[in-house]
Amino acid sequence: MSDVQDRVTNLDACIKCSACTAQCPVAAVYPLFLGPKSVGPDAERFRLEGVDMDPSYLDYCSNCKTCEVTCPSGVKITSMILNARETRGNTTSKVERENLEHQVRDLVLGRAEYLGRAGSVWSGLTNRVLGIPMFRGLLERTLGISRQAPLPAYHSKFKGQKRGQTMKSTGNSLTAGKKVVYFPGCFVTYNDALTGQAVLKVLEHNGYEVIVPSFHCCGVPLQANGHFSEARDNARKNIALMDPYLQAKLPVIAGCTSCGLVLKEDYPSMEVNGSERIGEQVYDLFEFLWELHERKELREDFREVPVSLGYHAPCHLKAQGIGTPSVRILRLIPGVLVQELDAGCCGLSGSFGFKQEKYDLAMQIGEPLFDQVQHSVAKGEFQSMMTECGGCQIQIQHGSGVKTEHPVWVLMQAYGLEVND
Amino acid sequence: MWDGIVVGGGLAGLTAGIRASERGKRILIISEGVGSLTYSSGVIDLGEVGRLQGLENHPYALLGETVVRSGLNYFQALFPDYQGKWGEILQVLTPLGSPRRAGLMPEGLNAEALQDARQIVLVAPEGMKDFFPDVIMANLERAYPQSVVKLYPIRMDEFEAWRVLGKSVTGMDYAKFWRSVAGSEGLKRVLNGLAQDILGKSVTPEAASREKLVVIFPGLVAAFSNTLKEALSKAPFSVVEMTAFPPSACGQALYDALKQKFRALGGELLVGAGVRSVELIGKTCKQVMVKSKGRDTAFSARSFVLASGGIFGGGIEVGPGNARETVFGLPLHLPATWTQAEFLGEQPYAQMGIEVNRELRPVDPRSGEVLLENVRVIGRTLAHWDPWVEHSGGGVSLASGWFAGEKM
Repeated sequence: MSDVQDRVTNLDACIKCSACTAQCPVAAVYPLFLGPKSVGPDAERFRLEGVDMDPSYLDYCSNCKTCEVTCPSGVKITSMILNARETRGNTTSKVERENLEHQVRDLVLGRAEYLGRAGSVWSGLTNRVLGIPMFRGLLERTLGISRQAPLPAYHSKFKGQKRGQTMKSTGNSLTAGKKVVYFPGCFVTYNDALTGQAVLKVLEHNGYEVIVPSFHCCGVPLQANGHFSEARDNARKNIALMDPYLQAKLPVIAGCTSCGLVLKEDYPSMEVNGSERIGEQVYDLFEFLWELHERKELREDFREVPVSLGYHAPCHLKAQGIGTPSVRILRLIPGVLVQELDAGCCGLSGSFGFKQEKYDLAMQIGEPLFDQVQHSVAKGEFQSMMTECGGCQIQIQHGSGVKTEHPVWVLMQAYGLEVND
Repeated sequence: MWDGIVVGGGLAGLTAGIRASERGKRILIISEGVGSLTYSSGVIDLGEVGRLQGLENHPYALLGETVVRSGLNYFQALFPDYQGKWGEILQVLTPLGSPRRAGLMPEGLNAEALQDARQIVLVAPEGMKDFFPDVIMANLERAYPQSVVKLYPIRMDEFEAWRVLGKSVTGMDYAKFWRSVAGSEGLKRVLNGLAQDILGKSVTPEAASREKLVVIFPGLVAAFSNTLKEALSKAPFSVVEMTAFPPSACGQALYDALKQKFRALGGELLVGAGVRSVELIGKTCKQVMVKSKGRDTAFSARSFVLASGGIFGGGIEVGPGNARETVFGLPLHLPATWTQAEFLGEQPYAQMGIEVNRELRPVDPRSGEVLLENVRVIGRTLAHWDPWVEHSGGGVSLASGWFAGEKM
C-alpha cells in the first residue's frame, strides 16, 4: 500500500518539463523510443490504471539513468521503466519468434558471470574463437549479438589473495587491523584481472588487508536483460557473503561503478540480514580513497607522473551522486593533468550496445564522446582516456581508437607499484 | 575541505563557481538536477538597472551599478558570443515571432536586421515541435509591416524516420543535428538552396542587400559553434535565430558552455543529488550532507553560496499559506498577499526570498541581524525582485553570481 502511495507521489512530482527527454542519449538518436518522460511517468499513469500500451516501447531504455540524474524533481524515471518491464515480463504469455531469439540472448548477456566462468577457463582459446569473424557472424544470426560489438576479451580469472576467505579462516580478527572487503565485479573477475590486482595493491599499499569473498554477479546485467528475480537472488547471496564483514563494520569497496550503484541503491531494499547496513558501508574505490585523504590517512608520497589524461564519468558513477572522486585523487599526483569531458553516455550501457539491433544506436550515442576524444588527442590536449567502468573503457577504445584505462593505473604509477601478469 | 561550495547549478551558481575557480579557489557545485538554464531562452535580460537600483532592498540596489556592470562585463569576457552593451537595447524574437527587448544575447538571436527588411523568409523545418508558422507569420507581418513574409519549408533526410512515424522533431533535436558534422553540411546545402530559390540567378550579398532579405531560422543555434557561425557568415543574407519554448537549445548551449568553463578551471560539478541537511556551528556552516545513493556524503568548505533558485528551481518550497527555504531553512521574506487577479501582472509572491545585506549574507527579516557568516545568497533565491515583470533575471544572477565568486 505504502509502495503504491510512493509510486503516486513520485509520479506527481513530474512537472512535465521534458528536461529528461532532452538529455536522454537514446531518444536523441532513435525516434521509436519515445523518451523517458513518455515511457516513464506519462505511461505510468496508464499502467497504474491497468492500461498498457505497446510494451515493446520499454525495450530501448538503456538503463543509463541519465534521466534520473537530470530530473530537477527527483522522479525515479528509470526505476519506473524497469518496474514496468518486470511487470510486463510476468504478464506476457505469448512469445514471438524474434523475441525467442532475443530471450535466449538476454539469457546469455544477462549472465556475465557464467559466461565469464566459461570464458576465463581457457581465456586464450575463447578470445581466439571470439576473434573469428565467422563465429561472430554465427553469434549475430543465432543470438542477435552484434558482430561488430566490442565484446571484451577474457583473461585468466581474477583471484584476490584472500579470495574465498571466510569468517572461520580469519577467526575473530575481523575487527583487528585495517581491513576492507573488495567487490571486484564480473568485468574485473573475468576480463580484467590485472585491474583487480592493481586495486588490491593500492589498498594494501595504504595498509589495508583486502578480503575478496567469492561474490556472484551484482545483478545489473540480469536486471537489464529482464531477469529480475535472479538479480534479486544474486543480491541475497552476495549480501549473505558480506554479512559477517558488514556486522564487523568493514567497508565494502566496488571498483566498478555499476556494481557500486546497485549495491548502494538496490541492495538496501532486499530485507535480509546485512541489507540494513550495506548502504552505509559500500564505497566506490576512489570515494573510499578520498575519504582516506580527507582523514589524512591516504599515502601521498607520490612519484611524479607526467601525463595528460581525458576523463569520462560513467553514467552509473554520476547516478551515485558522489561527484568525481577519481579526478580529485589523480589531481593530487604531481605531473598529472586531467581534463574532464562532458560528452554524455558512451552508448554501450552494459550490454545494450552488444545487441545486434542496438549496436548502431550505441555507436551513434557515443559519437559526440568519440569525436571529442579524437579531436582532443589530435590537438595534443591529452594522450589517453580514463574511466572507471569496464564497459565504457572498451566502448571508448572501440569508438575512438584511443587507449582507455581504469584510473587506478595512474595511482599504481604514482606509488611505483606493479602487478605480475 | 573545499574553499567554496555552491548549492545550485544555474546561471548564478555557475557564474560564482567560474569566477572563484579562476581566482584559484577549489570549488564544488552541487546541483539537484540540471539547472533551470535548460528551460531558459539563453537570452540575458537586465531590466532597467537605473530605475531598479532605486528600489529599496532590490538586489541591484544592494549591489550597486558598478557590481552589476562588472558582472556583465565578466560574462561577456567569458563568452564573446554574447552581444549587447550597457545601456543598449537589443531585439529578439519570441517563440511566436514577436520582437521583444533584450539585454545580452548570442549574436545569432539578434533580430535587429528585421527592422529594415523588405523580404522576410521564415524557414519551416518539417515536423518541428512547438513551432507555429501561421502565428509567427502573422506576428511578423504585424511587427514589420514594410516587409513581405514568406514561408520556406525544408525537409532533412536525417529525420525521415520521424516523418514516417508521424512523430514531431523537437527544436532541441534539430539544434543538435545542425551542430553535428553532417548537420553543418546539411545547413550549408539548405542555405545555398534558399539563396537560389529566393534570389534566383543573382546569388550575391549585393543582391540580397538590394532585396533587403532576412532569413529567420528556428531550431538553429549557432552560439559557441565556429563551424555554424562560419557557415552563416558565408550566406548572402542575414540569418536570425529564434528563441524557443522549454527545453530550449540555446539555454542548453549556454549551460554547456558554463559547465565546460567551470570544469576547465578545475571545478567539480555534482549533478543529480541535492543537499539533505547542513551542519552549522553557531553562525558558521561547516558542511553540507548530499543525498548520495546508499548514504549521504558530507562535503565541507570554508564558505558557501546558496544559489538553489526560487519556487521554480526548488530553492523555495511553497505549501498552502507557508513557504520554506529548502537548504538552510533560512527565514523568508513573505509578502502580505501572495497573488493578485491579473494573471500576467505583477504577482507579489515573486518577491518572496531571502533578505540579505550588502555582502549578500542572509539576515533576519525583522532584526536585520546576520544569520550565517560564511554563506552568501545569490540569484533567484534573493528577495525583493520580480524577474518576470522587471525582465531582470539574467542581470541579477550574473551580478550576484560574479560578486559571490569574487568574494569567496
